[in-house]
Amino acid sequence: MGMLIAIILSAVLTNNFITYQTLGVCPFLGVSKKTSSAVGMGLAVTVVMTLATLITYPIYTYVMVPLHFDFLEIIFFIFIIASLVQILELIVKKVSPSLYKAMGVYLPLITTNCAVLGVTKIVIGDMSDFVGVASLNMGWAILYALFAGIGFTLVMIIMSGIREKLNYYKTPKALAGFPIAMVTASFICMAFYVFSLIV
Amino acid sequence: MNLLVITTQTWITLGIVCGIFAGSALLIGALILIVSKFFKVDADEKITKILDNLAGANCGGCGCSGCGGFAKKLAEGGACLADCHVTSPESKAEIAKILGVELTEEEPTVAVVHCNGGVENCADKFEYKGNPTCAACNSLLGGNKACSYACLGCGDCKAVCPENAIEVTGRLAKVDPDRCISCGACITTCPKHIIDRIPASAPVYVACSSQCKLKEVSSVCNVGCIGCGVCAKVCPHGAITMKDNLPHFDYTKCTGCLTCVEKCPRLIIISRKIIAEETPATPEDKTTATDEKTDKKAE
Repeated sequence: MGMLIAIILSAVLTNNFITYQTLGVCPFLGVSKKTSSAVGMGLAVTVVMTLATLITYPIYTYVMVPLHFDFLEIIFFIFIIASLVQILELIVKKVSPSLYKAMGVYLPLITTNCAVLGVTKIVIGDMSDFVGVASLNMGWAILYALFAGIGFTLVMIIMSGIREKLNYYKTPKALAGFPIAMVTASFICMAFYVFSLIV
Repeated sequence: MNLLVITTQTWITLGIVCGIFAGSALLIGALILIVSKFFKVDADEKITKILDNLAGANCGGCGCSGCGGFAKKLAEGGACLADCHVTSPESKAEIAKILGVELTEEEPTVAVVHCNGGVENCADKFEYKGNPTCAACNSLLGGNKACSYACLGCGDCKAVCPENAIEVTGRLAKVDPDRCISCGACITTCPKHIIDRIPASAPVYVACSSQCKLKEVSSVCNVGCIGCGVCAKVCPHGAITMKDNLPHFDYTKCTGCLTCVEKCPRLIIISRKIIAEETPATPEDKTTATDEKTDKKAE
């Protein structure tokens, strides 16, 4: 139980992928203009993160480490994630057209998303900074990836909500558009930084 | 120098790495192939064929989300071809053949703004300092123009125009008929509903949308239609009828004699020929405009 709480708090709040580890900043700034697209992007990232960990973790532990080619982890993980997303897109397109409509367009965008690669790489490494345990077993690792995706979605929704509201306020000309989004992002990051001080 | 020497050990490692990647690439490739065979989506051939023949402007003037949505709606029978004003008649004939319906001939149209009340002709009711879009301005007491049928001039139409055909000068939107593709994006966007289509060959158009009577119009605008009906009386071809204090043109009867333009006391009927002569589009201008367009497309 303690482990579960530690993982949820760490993945969603204290070590949030966007605000604390600054991974996946590209979709954070690029796809956060509308809440609907932010939700779709967050959903796609969450699904891909979980599935990617589900596949890369056993491959790393049971194939790459025994065969001594774990030094290829980054390039190999990208390889696996890209093909996984491809397959996932094909399946979703056939099985659920409505789900494809909601998140399908974002799937090709996240084939090489650093947040997805980041979570697969983090969960196989030293986790003592994040949850206080040196290494996670597979179940915890997948759970961590799932909640990392939920944390990602949370920040995306907060950001898009603020940006939608910002459209209705007059901003100084020099700050209008992207600069004010950067200022907003820094405030969100500061707010999330407080969590890392508590835990 | 020693660092650059590749030892046999390195060669072996390199070979193994290449082998691993080649092997897994083959494996994953085969997997993707199998999955794509099993999960093949049977795309409707009709829709793709229709989509190939549509203009592909994705302007949204038909009310669908892009040309793909319109093609789907067409195939299902929920839309009619006349909703699209961008596709060329030849392509439309092709689509009609695919759909198995008759294509009715129609004349090319352009959009015009039925208002001429810029800052100098129509005063402001109050100073508006809010969000600079027509929709927001209109939601506040119907906008800050003294005439409630006036162009607000915030440029919502300009923002949605896919062809950059609309220009806003002196808080008045104007459509460039040479660039307008009559997609209808501005018509659906304008909160005042003062943009409408006229035939591309129409010699005149009415530059006012006010349905108010004499006094209410003349007190707020210098170039507003007072509904006197002189134009309808003087028209030798009977092309003009008065409706809601505004002249309505039957462009099939209009010959372009411009009698109405001369007799209108408020100068609200505007000759499109004279406009074209006043601001002749020099060949130079046109080339630069098209150059800009091609540049944009190239980007």
